[in-house]
Parts: sequence; C-alpha cells; structure tokens
Amino acid sequence: MTATAVATDHRLADDEMASFVIRGYHIVQPDLREGLNQEIYDALDALDTNPGDGVLETVPQLNEVWNSPEVVGALTSLLGPDYEMFSHRHCHRNAPGTPSQQIHQDNMNDLRVSGGQVRSPDRVDLVLAMYYPQDVEQNMGPTCILPGTHVLNALPERMASQGNFRDQFIATVPAGSVVILHYDIWHAGTANTSKRVRYMLKFLFQRTSEWNVPSWNHDPANDAMIRTRLEAENPMGMQRALSAKQKHFRTRMWNRLAGDESLDLSYRDKWAGGAWN
Amino acid sequence: MPKLQRLLYINSESTNPQSPALSAAIYEPVAGSLTELDPTSDGIPYASVQAALIDGWRVIQAPDVWAGIGSDGAGEVIGFQFILEKIEDFDD
Repeated sequence: MTATAVATDHRLADDEMASFVIRGYHIVQPDLREGLNQEIYDALDALDTNPGDGVLETVPQLNEVWNSPEVVGALTSLLGPDYEMFSHRHCHRNAPGTPSQQIHQDNMNDLRVSGGQVRSPDRVDLVLAMYYPQDVEQNMGPTCILPGTHVLNALPERMASQGNFRDQFIATVPAGSVVILHYDIWHAGTANTSKRVRYMLKFLFQRTSEWNVPSWNHDPANDAMIRTRLEAENPMGMQRALSAKQKHFRTRMWNRLAGDESLDLSYRDKWAGGAWN
Repeated sequence: MPKLQRLLYINSESTNPQSPALSAAIYEPVAGSLTELDPTSDGIPYASVQAALIDGWRVIQAPDVWAGIGSDGAGEVIGFQFILEKIEDFDD
C-alpha cells in the first residue's frame, strides 16, 4: 500500500472537516506502537538542553507519530496531499509550577512582512500539530483553546485581564494524541500544578499548492447539512458583530478548501414550512 | 483588620449588564496572588454582571461601547468589559 493510499483511508469526513472549519481544531488519536509514547517521553526527559528545531533529529521516533496513517490522513484533508513539514518546531517542557500563558495567537515574526504575520481568516495554509507523549490531566498544563477564534485577530495585552472564558476548551488528552490547530487560533499553555513534567511537541505543517477538489472524503449529498452547520453553530460565545464575522469567514474557508465543489451560497428560504420563531 | 478592594472583571456579550458573561477573573488584594487561566475551573463564577451585583459586587467601570468591536486591522477582543469591586475585611 502506498503512503497516499494509507492517507486516503484516514482522510476526514465532511462532518469532521466542518467541525475543523467551525472550531479551528481537530484531535487525532493515532494507533501508535506500544511503548512509543514512553520512549519519546524518556528521550526528552534525558535532554540537558532545549534541542530547538533539532528535536526531530534528536528524537527520531517522532517521525512515527507524524507518519502515522491517522495523522497523515488528517493533514492531507486539511492541507492537500502534497503538504510538507515546516522547518520550525518546538518542544514545550511544562515543568511543575509553570504558570499559565496569556491567550495569544502564534506569530511567525517574519521580518519580510509588515507586522510580522499575515493572517488568513478564510484559508487553511498552515497548521500547528501538538503531540503529547503522556496523558494530560487538568492539572498538568493542558492547552487551552478558544474555539472558533482562528478567523479573528487577537489583541493579547488587551485581553490579559479576562481570566477564564466561559466556553474555553481544555485539551485533556490521552498519551499519543495529536491536536491539530489552525495556525491563527487563540490558545495558551496553562499552569502545571501537578508533580509531573508535561511535554508537548509542536510541529508546523503547511500547504504547498491549491487544489480545486476536496482532499478529504467529501460527499456532495452532505452540502445542505454542512451549510446549516456553518451558518448556525456557535462553539464560543462572543458579541454578535464578531459572531457574524466568524460565520462569514468560515463559509469562505469551506469554499476555498472545497474548490470546484464549493457550497452554493445563493439565497434560499430557510423559514418556509418551519416552526414559528 | 484592613478593608481592601477585591476586583472582578467580567466581559459580557454586550454593554447590557444583563447579557451573558463570556469571561471572568477575580483579583484579590493578597501579596503573591496570581490570577490566570485555570484549566481546573468548572466555569466562570457569575453568569452575568447582574448576577454579580446581586451577590454584592459594585460596578466601578462600565465598558466603552466601542471596545469590543474592532476595526479592520485593529484586532478583536471578546466581549465588553465591566470592572466591579467588593470592599472586604482582610487579615493583616
């Protein structure tokens, strides 16, 4: 079986793709060989210094995670079959006593770009893939995600006083999980009040070309369901003006991803024959 | 026993204090106290500014009506921020 065929078996379904477009994240539980997560944890724990971008060469077992059919299938669905791993990656070592980060969007700090970062609220060109080699309990510094914020621009210092958000998602996950995030989603590492070090390996994957057909398991018969979800779901409460902006961008994002098989966005009567409201 | 100011920041869905609260944080007048994202929390302490008022908090700053909108390129903030206080006795 070729790598492409393996990936095809694990491509996402329409419903999963719609959830990613709405929420900005997707969680994969790859079927990894027994003992791999502990091997990676032990290898990281034995390092005296931060390996930086060299973590993949230092701990080559990580390739087994990124090459697993479930991860390849999800990344193929989101970025197209010719996606590639980006050169920057980081091992986050969250030791006991580490405080929470402030909610933020990652930034490439690209000196060629005014402001350091181009945000792409209607595109999926770059994703963060976060792999956790150990279980992550609530008190072990799980990643906090604000669902649906990947189409907005954060102002971290203005939000620094906000504390907990009503609809924040705390990614407590079993060992071996890979949380795939739209690059622009608002997120934060949280406090580790446990007695155990929590590792998170953050890798970036990027699109290399435009596709004019869906790269996931798409069935046009689902289009009505998808359009309803994109127009209606609110994974996170926010003011009405931002909610409307969010829905606009998510529909454009879906259509960019779907290429020629985009949703028909012409007017339709959503109320006739329904309940009074 | 000094009377000290506790602060409660609530960001609401609108400038209406009865609208749903979207985020909340309490700042205690205690040295070393740290208010931050808490992954073990069960949610936010009040469902609205009104619920906090009923519990004895007093509004000391209402939101700027433009604060939560954002203009193109300026970025966005979730919700409209109310700042409330409670004056309480604290041990020396």
